[in-house]
Amino acid sequence: MRLPFVTIIALSFCAQALLASGLWPIPRNLEAGNQLLKLSPAFSIQLHIPSAIEQPQDLLDAISRTRTRLQNDKLGRLTPGRGEEDREALVAAPSLLRLTLGIKGDGPLSSIASESVKDIANRDEKYSLVVPADGSSATITASSSLGLLRGLTTFEQLWYWVPSSPSDGSDVEQDGIIYAHQAPVAVKDDAPAFPYRGFMLDTSRNFFSTKDIKRTLDAMSMSKLNVFHWHVVDSQSFPLEIPGFLELARKGAYSSQDIYTTADVQDIVKYAAERGIDVLMEIDTPGHTAIIAKAYPEHIACPNASPWNQYAHEPPAGQLRLASPATIDFTVSLLSSIAKILPSTMFGTGGDEINVNCYDKDEQTQEDLKKSGKTLEQALDTFTRRTHGALRGFGKKAVVWQEMALDHQVTLANDTIVTVWQSSADTSSVVKKGFRVVHAPSNYFYLDCGGGEWIGNMAGTNSWCDPYKSWQKAYTFDPFAGLSASHAPLVLGGQQLLWAEQASPENLDPIVWPRAAVSAEIFWTGPRLPNGDFRNVNEALSRLHDLRFRMVQRGVRAIPLQPLWCALRPGQCDSGGLPSMIANLGVRRLLKRVRK
Amino acid sequence: MRVYKVLLGLSTLSSFAFGLWPRPKELTTGTTPLRLSSDLSISLAGVAGAPSDLVDAVKRTRGYLKNDKLQALVPDRGSSSKTAVSRAKALRRLQLKYSGQGKPKSISEEAIAAIDTRDEAYTLTVPADGSDAVLTASSSLGLFRGLTTFGQIWYDIDGTSYTLQAPISIKDSPAYKYRGFMLDTARNYFPVADIKRHLDAMSWTKINTLHWHIVDSQSFPLVIPGFQGISERGAYNKKAIYTPADVKEITDYAAARGIDVFAEIDTPGHTSILHHSFPEHIACFEASPWTQFANEPPAGQLRLASPATVNFTASLLTAAAKLFPSKFFSTGGDEINNNCYKQDAQTQTDLAGRTVDQALDTFTQVSHNALKAAGKTAVVWQEMLIVHNVTLAQDTAVLVWISSQDAAAVAQRGHRLIHAASDYFYLDCGGGGWVGNNINGNSWCDPFKTWQKAYSFNPLANITKDQEKLVLGGQQLLWTEQAGPSNLESIAWPRAAASAEVFWSGPGGDVRTALPRLHDLAYRYIQRGVKAIALQPEWCALRPGKCDLDA
Repeated sequence: MRLPFVTIIALSFCAQALLASGLWPIPRNLEAGNQLLKLSPAFSIQLHIPSAIEQPQDLLDAISRTRTRLQNDKLGRLTPGRGEEDREALVAAPSLLRLTLGIKGDGPLSSIASESVKDIANRDEKYSLVVPADGSSATITASSSLGLLRGLTTFEQLWYWVPSSPSDGSDVEQDGIIYAHQAPVAVKDDAPAFPYRGFMLDTSRNFFSTKDIKRTLDAMSMSKLNVFHWHVVDSQSFPLEIPGFLELARKGAYSSQDIYTTADVQDIVKYAAERGIDVLMEIDTPGHTAIIAKAYPEHIACPNASPWNQYAHEPPAGQLRLASPATIDFTVSLLSSIAKILPSTMFGTGGDEINVNCYDKDEQTQEDLKKSGKTLEQALDTFTRRTHGALRGFGKKAVVWQEMALDHQVTLANDTIVTVWQSSADTSSVVKKGFRVVHAPSNYFYLDCGGGEWIGNMAGTNSWCDPYKSWQKAYTFDPFAGLSASHAPLVLGGQQLLWAEQASPENLDPIVWPRAAVSAEIFWTGPRLPNGDFRNVNEALSRLHDLRFRMVQRGVRAIPLQPLWCALRPGQCDSGGLPSMIANLGVRRLLKRVRK
Repeated sequence: MRVYKVLLGLSTLSSFAFGLWPRPKELTTGTTPLRLSSDLSISLAGVAGAPSDLVDAVKRTRGYLKNDKLQALVPDRGSSSKTAVSRAKALRRLQLKYSGQGKPKSISEEAIAAIDTRDEAYTLTVPADGSDAVLTASSSLGLFRGLTTFGQIWYDIDGTSYTLQAPISIKDSPAYKYRGFMLDTARNYFPVADIKRHLDAMSWTKINTLHWHIVDSQSFPLVIPGFQGISERGAYNKKAIYTPADVKEITDYAAARGIDVFAEIDTPGHTSILHHSFPEHIACFEASPWTQFANEPPAGQLRLASPATVNFTASLLTAAAKLFPSKFFSTGGDEINNNCYKQDAQTQTDLAGRTVDQALDTFTQVSHNALKAAGKTAVVWQEMLIVHNVTLAQDTAVLVWISSQDAAAVAQRGHRLIHAASDYFYLDCGGGGWVGNNINGNSWCDPFKTWQKAYSFNPLANITKDQEKLVLGGQQLLWTEQAGPSNLESIAWPRAAASAEVFWSGPGGDVRTALPRLHDLAYRYIQRGVKAIALQPEWCALRPGKCDLDA
C-alpha cells in the first residue's frame, strides 16, 4: 500500500463542504445531516450489558465525565453569531433523552485501563455511533470498553451551547440550550488507521508537576491519542524516584518538590490508562545520563567535562560507562526496578546521541575496553543486550531512538520499536532492517523548533531545527513516504514531541495545543476523509479551531491559530480561494513584502 | 567591593547574578550578607504629603517582599548561605525621601505627563550594617522606580529574605524616555484582567508605555461614546468590549504603576469592521480575494477622499481620544492598499483629480488637527512619513516597524521616532504562517526574535549625533493573530524585558552577563503569578555561563 498523503494538490479545495464541524480526529466513516437536535435536560447515558457481566468502574467514570462535559463545555458554535442563529429553530427541535452503550459479545468486560496497556497490536479501539435526528435513543456499540471510550469522546464533540435568550453582556450566568446541529450522525466501525498515536514530553530539562501532566493526558484523550511517551529523566535532572535508587532523585532532582514519587508515577499511569493512554516511559541510556554522577559517580564517564560541546550534544556532559561490567549491572537493575512497576509492554532505553569522544577520553572506559578486548561498538552491543534482555524478562519490548538501529552495530530483537527523529527521510532505512517504527521526525513533529537557540551566548541564532513546525506542516506528513508497500505494516504510527529546554509549565499548553492533535488525526484517520477526499489543511482548519476552543472551555490553554474573525468564517482567511499551491507562493511573496 | 559603572560597550564576564533588571546606571555592591527583618517598615516620613498611589505602591512592595519567596538561582538554591544569613544583620527600615520642589505629585500624574517632562531618577542605598536603607528621588515616579528595584534585591531561604551583596548603592535614571510594549486587542480579545496583569509585569521592568492597538479590521472592542454602534456590531461578542469604565480602570491602573497608555485607532486602513455600523465610510468591504485588497483578511478601508468620511473620522478619533489621559494618540496609517481605492467607485469620484496621497494628506491633517485641539500629540506608523509624504506636525512621533534600517530616514526628516522594528522587536514572528492553507509558510517576519536578538538592538545605529535627541525610545510588540489570553504571558515574558533594559540602561549589554539576570527576572515573574517561559533548562539557569557554547 502506498497512498499519497495530503500534499499540495489543487484537489484540496473542493472539500470546503463541512463534514462534521467539530470532530477531531474525523472518523474514518461518517455520515452527518444538518438537523438540530437538543440534549434533553433529563438526558442520561446507560450502559447496556448483561447483568452477569461486571461493569468496569473506569468505564462508569468515563461515562460520568462525558455527562459532566456535556453540561460544562458550553461551547458556542464557531459561526459569526456563535449559534444565536439557531435559537429560534431550536424551540421546535427534537430532544435526545438517552445514549445507550452496548457491548458486542457476552464475555467478561475488561476495564479501559487494562485494554489501554495491552500490547499495541492487540488493542481494540473500534466503535460505532448512531445519533438519530428524531430524538430516539443514540447508541454507541463496541466490543471493548476502550472502544466505548473512543465513542464517548466522539459523541462529546457533537454538542454546542447557546444561551436561552440573547446575552445582555452582563456576567450573570445564563441558562442555555445544549444541542447538535448535524443530526443525524452515523459513524460505522470507526477505528484507528495506526495503533500508535503518541505525544512525548521531556520532564528533565524543566520539571512539570503531576497536575500539568494530568491536564495534558486529558487533552490527549480528547483527540484519541493513546501513548504518552514520557522522557522522564536526562542529563540535567533526575526527577524520578526509583525503588532501590532513591539517591538519584534525592541528589538529581531540581528540588525535593520536583520529584515523581512511586505513588505519583502510579497515579499518572492509572490516570492515563483510564483515559485510553499507555505510558511508555523512557530512561535514556547510555548517553543523556550526566546527572547520575551526583549519586553514582563511579558509573559516569566525562561528567561535566568542559568544553561540553566536545563531550555531549548539550550541557552537561556525562554518559554511563557502558564498558564497565559494574555499570552494566547497575543499569540493568535500575531499569528493571522502574520497569517492573509499569504496566506497559513497552519501555524506552533511548540510545541517541552517544558521544564517542567522551569514552575516548575516559580512562576507565578505555581500561574496561582493553580488559574485555572489545571495541566501543561491541561494548554497546553487550550493554544493550543486557538491558533489553532484562526488560524482556518483565514482558517489555524495548523502544530505542533511531541511532541504535542505524548508526551502531547493536543486536536488537526483531520486535524492538525504533523511533525515527532525525529526519523523516531516515524511516526507510529503519524498515529495511525489518524494525517497526514510530514516526517522530524533527522536520515535522518537533514542537520546540523555532523558538531561537537556547545556548546562552548564541545571540540571534535560530533553533537547530528551525523553522517552527506549524500545524499545517505537521498535517502534511505522509507516514508512508519513501516506503515500499511491503514495509507499510512496520509503521506503528507516530507522535509529536516536546523537548523542554525552552518549555516549562508556563508554556506547556500553548506550545503543545492544538498542534499536537495534528498527528492524532494523521494516525487515526489515515489519508482520506470519510467522503473519500484526501485530508487537507483547507478542510481541517475549521475542525481544529473547534477542538481548540473546546480545549479552552475545558481549561487547557490552547493557542488561537488565527484571529477569532477567521475562526468564525471557515475559508475566509485562506489565501483567496486559489488552488493552494499557487496560493502558497503568492501569499508568501505578498506577506514578505509588507505586513505587520 | 565590586563597582559596576555601566557604560556603553563595557561588559563584565563575571558570574554576577544579582537580579536587577533593567541594570541600574550606577551600581555598587559589597559581599556582606544582610537579611530583611520580618517587621521591615517602609517609611514615608520623608515624603510630606505622600500621594495615595505612592502609599499603595509601598503596600504592593511590601507584599512582593513577603510573597516573592524566590530562592537564589544557584545549584543549592541558597541553602549553603543559611548560616551566614542567620548571623547577618537585619534591615529594619527603608526610608523614602522626596527631594523635589513643593508637594509631590501623584505617580499617576507624573506617568502621563508630556514625555519630555518625566523624571524617573532615584538613588537607593542599602547599608550592610542594618542601618536604614534610603531611597531618594525628586519625583513620586522616581520613588516608584526605586521601590521596583528594591523589590528585586531579595532572595528567600526558609522564609527569610536576604541578600549576600550588601552594601548596595544605586544611582539610576533611564537612558530613554519611551520604553513601551504594544498589545493588539483586535485580532483576538483580551479581558481587562489580562491587561492589568500585563501592566503589572511591565512595571516590574520599568516599562512606561502601553501602546494599545485597540481596534483593527477584525474586531472593534472599544466602546466610544457617541459611536456605540461600532462596538455593538464590531466586537466579537457582547462581553468582548472595553467600556469607558474599563478604559478608565485600565488607564488608572497603568498610571499608578508608572505607565502611560496611549491608544491607537488605526486609519485609514485596518478599518473593515466599521462597515457593520457605517457602511458608507468603508471602501472594498470584505472584497475577495483579500490578497488584492488588504495585507490580511478582511479587506476594507476608510473612504479617505470622502469629505463625510474625513469628518466622521475626525469626530470618531476625538471622541476616542477623550477616553485616554495620555498626551499621545496614534492614528496609525500603515499598510494602505491602493488597489482598494482604485476599485472603489465612490473614492474615485471623491478624488476628483487628486491622487490618493493628496487625499490622504487632507484626511490626516483634519484628523491630526482635531486631535491637537483635544490636546494630543499624534503618533503614526512610518509609511505616513516616508512612503506617503503626508504633512505632519513637527512634534508627530513616528513608529518605525518595517525595518530597523528605516529609522535613519525618519530621523533625517526631523521627526521623533519610536523603535518598533519587526526585525528585532516583533514578538509574534516565528510561529508559522497563520493564513489557513499556507502549508509551508513561515511567518512573514521569520525567524522568531529571540531575547538575545532584541537585546542586541542599537537605538542609534545610522543616527547622527545631532539626530540622537529624536530617538524617544522603543518597544516590543505583540500582534495577536496567533495570540490570545492563553499565550499572552508565555509569548511576551521574559522577552519583552529585553527592550526594557536596552532603553532604560542603554544598549551594548552583553548577553552572557544579562542571561543570569534575565533568568532571575523570569523566575521572579513566575513567583508573582506571571507565566514567563523557561529560557533554558533549569540546570543552566542555576549555573551562569555553563550553557554557553564554549563553556
